[in-house]
Amino acid sequence: MTTITYPLSRIEGHARVVIDIHDDEVFRADFQAMEMRGFSYYVQGIPAEQITVIVPRICGVCSTAHQVASVKALEDLFGITPPPLACEIREVLLLGQLIQNQATSLFIFTMPDRVNASSLFEIAETPEAKARQFSLAQMSLKIRKIGTDLISLAGGQFIHPIKTVIGGVTSSIPREKADAMIKTIEELLPMAVDLVDNYWQMSTEMVDRIGTWGDDEPTYYLASTEADSFRLNSKRLRVMCNEGRECHTFAPQEYENYLTIEESDYSYAGTSSFQGHIMRANSLARINLTNSFGTPKADAYLKRFGEAYGKPAHAILFFDLCRGIELVYALEKAKQMLETDLQHGEAMVRYAPRDGIGFGLVEAPRGPLIHRYEVENGLIKKADFIIPTVHNMLAIRRALMVAAKRYVSPEGISNELSRAVGRVVRAFDPCIACATK
Amino acid sequence: METPSDLPKFAVLQLSGCSGCEVSLLNSDEWISNFNLVYMPLVVSTHKLPEDIEVLLVSGGVRTDEDLHNLHKGASRSKKLIAVGTCALSGGIAQIPEGHISRESYLDSSHRLRLPSMLPRAYPIDKFVHVDLYLPGCPPTPELFITALKEAENARIASIVCQECGRKKLTNMRPTSISGPRSGTPDPEICLINQGYLCLGTSTRGGCGALCTRPGHACVGCRGPANPYLNKDPEFVLDNLRRVFTRMTDIPIEEINAALASPWLSLFLGQFTDYTQDQSLPQRTKEKMI
Ligand code: SF4
Ligand code: SF4
Repeated sequence: MTTITYPLSRIEGHARVVIDIHDDEVFRADFQAMEMRGFSYYVQGIPAEQITVIVPRICGVCSTAHQVASVKALEDLFGITPPPLACEIREVLLLGQLIQNQATSLFIFTMPDRVNASSLFEIAETPEAKARQFSLAQMSLKIRKIGTDLISLAGGQFIHPIKTVIGGVTSSIPREKADAMIKTIEELLPMAVDLVDNYWQMSTEMVDRIGTWGDDEPTYYLASTEADSFRLNSKRLRVMCNEGRECHTFAPQEYENYLTIEESDYSYAGTSSFQGHIMRANSLARINLTNSFGTPKADAYLKRFGEAYGKPAHAILFFDLCRGIELVYALEKAKQMLETDLQHGEAMVRYAPRDGIGFGLVEAPRGPLIHRYEVENGLIKKADFIIPTVHNMLAIRRALMVAAKRYVSPEGISNELSRAVGRVVRAFDPCIACATK
Repeated sequence: METPSDLPKFAVLQLSGCSGCEVSLLNSDEWISNFNLVYMPLVVSTHKLPEDIEVLLVSGGVRTDEDLHNLHKGASRSKKLIAVGTCALSGGIAQIPEGHISRESYLDSSHRLRLPSMLPRAYPIDKFVHVDLYLPGCPPTPELFITALKEAENARIASIVCQECGRKKLTNMRPTSISGPRSGTPDPEICLINQGYLCLGTSTRGGCGALCTRPGHACVGCRGPANPYLNKDPEFVLDNLRRVFTRMTDIPIEEINAALASPWLSLFLGQFTDYTQDQSLPQRTKEKMI
C-alpha cells in the first residue's frame, strides 16, 4: 500500500489530504483538519452575554458570520426582536463579509491554479493586463477591500465586528459615510465585473487543459437564502434533493431532525450529512437554490451560468464561478441598501436576559451557520456550533476520490494529482479554524 | 528597477490561530513593494520555509507539537522575528488554561491517530524562541503591521486607548451599575465609563485608533496592558482599573470586582497577565513593544 500526503496551502487553516493506494487502485482519500480549536469547550461557564465578543475569534476569515449568529442565538433565547433598521445594517455587514470572502477565495486562493502559479502576486501578466492601470493583484486587493470597508462601516471593527449587539446595533450608518461607500462601489464595480469575466475565462481555459470540471455526481444541496431574495441574515434552511428539486425546509431549531453530525477519527473536524446523504453547502448550493437575485448584473450572470451549465449544476469547479456571481451580487446589493435610509430610526431595543435554549442562523460565505446555546443561571452550559465547512466534508472526500481515480493508474501516479488535490479542496473553500469543535 | 528578488525576504508563519492576523495584513498592500514574500501558506503555495529570511512574522499560539516544530525551524532561519497578535503573545483565547471546567474533556478528545497532538495548553511563542518585536492586538490593525514592518524604531504609539478615543470624561455623570450594553444606543460624545460600560481603555495600550470605543463599544483590551503594566502582577492591573471605576462611578465595589473577574475580561486582560505567572518567560520591555 502507498500513502501519499499532500500538505495544503491557499486555504484557511491547517489541513492536509491523505490518499491511500492499494495495487494501483485508489482505496481511500481523506481530508484532515490538523488542530482542534476547542471553542465549544472554552465557552462553557462563560456569562452568556459575553459570548458574542468571544466567538468571532473562532475564525478571522468568517468572524462576522459567527458574531451575527451568536447575537441572533441570544436574541432567540432572551425573546428579543431587534428593530428592522438593525436587521438591515446586519445584512450590509454580511454582504461586506461575502465580498471580502469571495474576493479572497477567487483571487488569492484559486486564481493562481488557473495558470499554475504559486500565488496571486506571481501570476504572469499578459501584455493587455500590463497595459492596464493596475495589476491583477492590485485590482483584486482593491475589490477585496470594499468588503473590509463595508465590514468596518456596518460592523464597527474591520475583522472581529462589534457593532452588532444583543437587541440591535450600537450605531446606525450616517448618510455621508453611506454616500462615500456608494461612490467607491460605483467606481469599482466595472473592475470587479472585469475580474470576474477574466476569472471565468481563465477557468474555462483551465478546464480545456485538464479536461474536467471535477466530481459532477448529483448531491443534496443546503442553503438558507431564499429563492427570490438572497438574504444572508436568514431565517430557515432549504434543501435540494438529488433529483434537483427543493424537498425540505426547516427552522434552525429543527436541525437535529434533518442533519446527522458525527465526529471522525481521522480528522479533528467532524462530518455532517442530510439523513445519511452526502450534501453540499456554499456558493454552488445557493446558486442552485436561487431563482433570481434582484440585481441586474448578478441576474445576467445567473442566466448565463444556467444556460451554459444547466440547473442544478453539479461539477465542483462551478463553486468557483458561483463565487464570482455572488461577488457581483453583493456589490450591487450593498450599493442598493446603502441608498436607503440606514441612519434614522430605532437601532437597538432594551432587554432583560433569561435562561433557556436559543438558536441563531446566518448564511455565512460557506453556507448556513447555526449557533445553539443552552444558558443556565446566566452562564453558557453548552454551546454547539453547526459549521458550514462540516456540511461539505463528505462531499470533499468524494470529490477527492474522483480526482485521485482520474490520476492514479497502473502506469503510475500523475504529477497532475497534487494540483488536482489543491483545486478540489479550494473549490469548497473550507475553513479549518471553524470546522473543529 | 528593483525586482522582488532584490528585496528583503519576508515570511509569515501561522501557528494555531484564527487567520485574522493574516487577513489584517492582507488589508494593506503597502508592504508588497518593500518585501519579497517567500512563505505564507495562506496566499502562497510553498510548503518549505526558506533559509535566510530577513523578517519572519509569527502569528498564533503554540497549540500542537507541529506548531512547536515549525516555530523552532522558523526562528533558526530568520534574522528578525516579530510576534504578531494576541495568540502569539499569550497562547490564544482558546488556550483552556488549568482550572477551566472543560479542560479535561477537551484534552481527552484531542488525540487522533497520525495527526499532531495538542500540548497541555497553548503557549506564547517567547516561551520557546527569542522574539525581537511584539505586536499585540486581536488582530493588530493593518496600520500597526506597517509600523512594525517599516518604522518600528521611530514608532510613536498612543500610550492608552483613551488618548485616541476622543470621548469626554465627565465628573457629573456617575452610573450606579454596569448596564450600558442593555440600555440602548450610547451617546457618541461621552466616555463609555460614564455611561455604565466596562471599558478597559484606561489601561490598554493604544495604537489601534480606539477602533471599538469610538463607535460605542467598550474596549476589551485586545492590545494588552499599556507600558506601566507590562510584566506586572495581574492584581496590579486590576487595582488600577478598580481605582478608575471607583473614581468615575457609583457602581458598588462588589459589582466592579465581579465584572473584573469575568471571563470576558480574562479574554484579553487575563491572557496578558496570565503571562506574568510563568517564570520561564522572558521580560517584555517597552522598547520591544509596538
Ligand atoms: S470610552 Fe473607554 S477609551 Fe474612551 S475615554 Fe472612556 S474609558 Fe477611555
Ligand atoms: S479599542 Fe480596545 S479592544 Fe478595540 S481594538 Fe483597541 S485595544 Fe482592541
